[in-house]
Amino acid sequence: MFFLHNLERRVTLHPSYFGRNMHELVTTKLVKDVEGTCAGDYYIIAIMDAFDVSEGRILPGNGLAEFTVKYRAVVWRPFKGEVVDAIVFSINPHGFFCQAGPLSIFVSSHLMPEEIHFDPNATPPQFTNNADMVIEPGTHVRVKIGGLRTELGEMYAIGSINGDFLGCLQA
Amino acid sequence: MVKTIQLGSRLRYPITITKLYKEPNQPIKKKEALFQYSFKWKRTVGDNIRGETWEAEETTYADWSSPSDGELKSWKIRVGQEISRDQDCMVVKESCSHDVQFGGLCAICGKDMTEVNWAAESRDMDRAPINMVHDQTHLTVSETQAQKTENALQRRLLQHRKLSLVVDLDQTIIHACIDPTVGEWQKDPSNPNYPSVRNVKSFQLDDGPRGVANNCWYYIKMRPGLEDFLKKISTMYELHVYTMGTRAYAQNVARIVDPDKKLFGNRVISRDENGNMYAKSLQRLFPVSTKMVVIIDDRADVWPRNRPNLIKVSPYDFFKGIGDINSGFLPKQQGLLTPSAAATTNGGLARIAPAPSPDKEDSTTMEPPLEKALEEQEKTLEKQIKDRPLQALQEQQDKQDEAAERASATPENGNTESTTPPPPHHRHQVLQDDDRELAFLENHLTALHKFFFQAYEQNRLSQPSSSPSSLDTQSIPDVGSILTTLKAQALSGCKIVLSGIVPIGMDVYRSEIGLQVASFGAELRSSVTRDVTHLVVSSQRPRTKKVRQAIRYLPKIKIVNQDWLAACFSEWRVVEEGPYSIEGLEDAQKKLNEKIQDAEATETVSDADDTDSGNAPPGKKRILRLKSPPRVRFATAASTGNGEDEDEDEEDSDSGGDDEGEDEDMDEELEAFKPTDADGQLSPIDGLKTFNWGSADEELAEFLESGSDDDEEEEEEEEEDEDDDEDGDNVNCEDDEEAPAQATTNITTTSSSYEQLLAAQGTAPSTKRKADDEEEEESHKRRKSLLGPGPSSLRNELKDEDVEAPTAEMEAQAAQDNQDAHDADDLDKEFEELDEEALEADFLAMDDGDGDEAQGQPVDGDGTGNGGVDENG
Repeated sequence: MFFLHNLERRVTLHPSYFGRNMHELVTTKLVKDVEGTCAGDYYIIAIMDAFDVSEGRILPGNGLAEFTVKYRAVVWRPFKGEVVDAIVFSINPHGFFCQAGPLSIFVSSHLMPEEIHFDPNATPPQFTNNADMVIEPGTHVRVKIGGLRTELGEMYAIGSINGDFLGCLQA
Repeated sequence: MVKTIQLGSRLRYPITITKLYKEPNQPIKKKEALFQYSFKWKRTVGDNIRGETWEAEETTYADWSSPSDGELKSWKIRVGQEISRDQDCMVVKESCSHDVQFGGLCAICGKDMTEVNWAAESRDMDRAPINMVHDQTHLTVSETQAQKTENALQRRLLQHRKLSLVVDLDQTIIHACIDPTVGEWQKDPSNPNYPSVRNVKSFQLDDGPRGVANNCWYYIKMRPGLEDFLKKISTMYELHVYTMGTRAYAQNVARIVDPDKKLFGNRVISRDENGNMYAKSLQRLFPVSTKMVVIIDDRADVWPRNRPNLIKVSPYDFFKGIGDINSGFLPKQQGLLTPSAAATTNGGLARIAPAPSPDKEDSTTMEPPLEKALEEQEKTLEKQIKDRPLQALQEQQDKQDEAAERASATPENGNTESTTPPPPHHRHQVLQDDDRELAFLENHLTALHKFFFQAYEQNRLSQPSSSPSSLDTQSIPDVGSILTTLKAQALSGCKIVLSGIVPIGMDVYRSEIGLQVASFGAELRSSVTRDVTHLVVSSQRPRTKKVRQAIRYLPKIKIVNQDWLAACFSEWRVVEEGPYSIEGLEDAQKKLNEKIQDAEATETVSDADDTDSGNAPPGKKRILRLKSPPRVRFATAASTGNGEDEDEDEEDSDSGGDDEGEDEDMDEELEAFKPTDADGQLSPIDGLKTFNWGSADEELAEFLESGSDDDEEEEEEEEEDEDDDEDGDNVNCEDDEEAPAQATTNITTTSSSYEQLLAAQGTAPSTKRKADDEEEEESHKRRKSLLGPGPSSLRNELKDEDVEAPTAEMEAQAAQDNQDAHDADDLDKEFEELDEEALEADFLAMDDGDGDEAQGQPVDGDGTGNGGVDENG
């Protein structure tokens, strides 16, 4: 689910950048550092604006200036039970991997409808029910997130396509 | 999934079950209390300070918590039961067996597997320890799941009559380099290499190496016939890519080799997913059974656990001197069959071609830690871009061509050169595209496939229980053993001796080549005997002692260079020896035969002397023989002006394990036509009287001042030994040249070099085996006993006794020395006169003729003069 989130971050600036457009530089650096990263259990998708850039404080010892920036960002936090659309990128006999934005989700063959099975003879290998449902790399699927785990800068998710309206999306 | 759960070892046994909270068929949750138990224990009570304490028995009640979720099926315990140790307590139907896990999550129930709590003794993570997916490291499965998946795979393969084939990329089916020269040649149709590099594909990597090599182009040359090969093979095998390159690299190469993804699909595994930087393992992809898996790779040492399944192919080396660009991580390769100069067509070029950089050959380096390896890899890549080895090669080639052209052109043209522009000379290309390995490989794989399914059908028929139509995973034969038997037929019946191929100090039987020879069913011998069929000689140094021995049996023993062995390895049969045989041996044999006849003719005479010399102090002869050969032979070779048989005995006399025991052989053979050293006219002691030990001392002092004797000796050698080509690039054999070379320099240094020699040779006997074992040991013992009081003390004694009258023993010894010197000089003369073969000299020299020649040699070199020798001569 997407949220607008107020966040705060300390940005340091090298003395060679000190000058009139310092605040601009600070914002640029913030965007560069933060956008697209995984911060704990959510992803920072985009920074809308930095609404408060504090005065710079020179750090003793190395001369860097430190700014405390308050900013507003669009963040995405996947929840257990959330349904997301994703694109399949890898298939193996145990299941397939799909990517919902920055998050890769594994859908195990246990969490697929009964009639879908792994077909290793197809090129490339695919999951199919021998009818309309063909899951191969590049397929758009709708999956329900069944479990989430976060590690430092990384998130793992388990998905399921066992349910109504889940599975292949008819393009 | 019904599972029996145990009480666990952490309880304070004995315990008594007091209450069961749950009935069978009730759902249970993790960490939920399931039953209550009591246990008794002792507590110390009373007054600690006054020391009035005693132990009181207490009973404590505790709950036992469920380690897993599911449904309770039945209890294995009952209320009131007393339990003295760990045992089964209940049967549970687990709601999830956590068979497939992804990044610490159960892929089935979505629970966090990394959680650790008091209730369970083992972590849930451990339930799925196997990583068997090509392109992911975070996905792990349990053993049952792996078994299931692999059974399904085997069934499917059997159904399609296929096997699995794991294919290595670098130097097996492609050759890659990043030398930008290739790109330039591709754009220049006038370049001689243009036709060769026209089909070279290229790509860039986003996540490639940093630094200079960043954003470089990778040039990929497919092995000739690769497309057809893969197409045909893919009907019999399911192909996997297993490479030590990065993932991006592997995928890019796969895209070039297999643009439709029909052959490899997504079955590509790279070092990023391998989990081990130094070795490949089939168990990574096939954790349960490797019965249906074949590997093709150019390196056997990276498959330590899966040798039986491996077909080793000869490395594809298109971009000369580049090697494997992804081998930075792998252990350094040893014991390669490097093609001989002749095989690389352009004559001398191969010699110039940078042999794999010297540090590559360093066999003793420990495996570098990862970061270092990464750095090293980057460095080699950078070096390739900066140094442009291919360009350098071509320039060298051009220069050679030019020189050749000029040589041929000038006599014709005469003075017209200035008027007409020189014709555009024909430039030779550096890159040759003449590899035929894949054709043989295809045959082998086809045969293997055929035999496998024959065996499978047989197994199936012999098992009455299985119906003929069903696919039966029980009767799958092991393709590894089939491959082994197939290979063992290839060279069966051959008895092969290697010379100058396995590095010194390495056990031939355990060397890469030795293992391969054995795996092809040939018998590897350590010394030349009558029943040996092939002697494989390094073409760079084709005149070893073994060769000389083998010459005697020439029509029967085929003397070939290492390319023959390589050809046999790739063709799996005994290849026609003709093109690989060493030239010029016929003459040598003829001459040898004459010699033998001569020797036999004189044998009756020498017999008496033999017995004489047998009475001489036993140490003497042997020692002299040991320190001797090179000098005399160099002298004779030079004097006869016949480089043909110029020999490199010194390299061979102790060349590692495989040469052990040769001395002994040699001796016996030589006994027959040993020079009659003391032919009765000269008393053996005569020489000593005239020998000037003082000058020898001076010489010694000078010599010691002059620093390392090795260096000097090497210089000398280089001067004298003109025909001895490129010692430098022959890394293997340098050491062995040194030890005996030292031995020749001076009698004092000799004693130390004996020890060296002994040390070198002493390493071998432990690893010896087979027929020459006893012989070997005997000779070793003998040598030791001889040396015991021998040479090290000899010199000092002699010095002391310089003034005094020599003791009888000393006298005898010295006399023998001088006698030897005399003989040696005689020999020299004789050779000069008769233009004798150096061969002969070897045999003579081998015995005892040259001990003092060796002593005299440095003297001749620096002109101090040695009375003993001169006077005797």
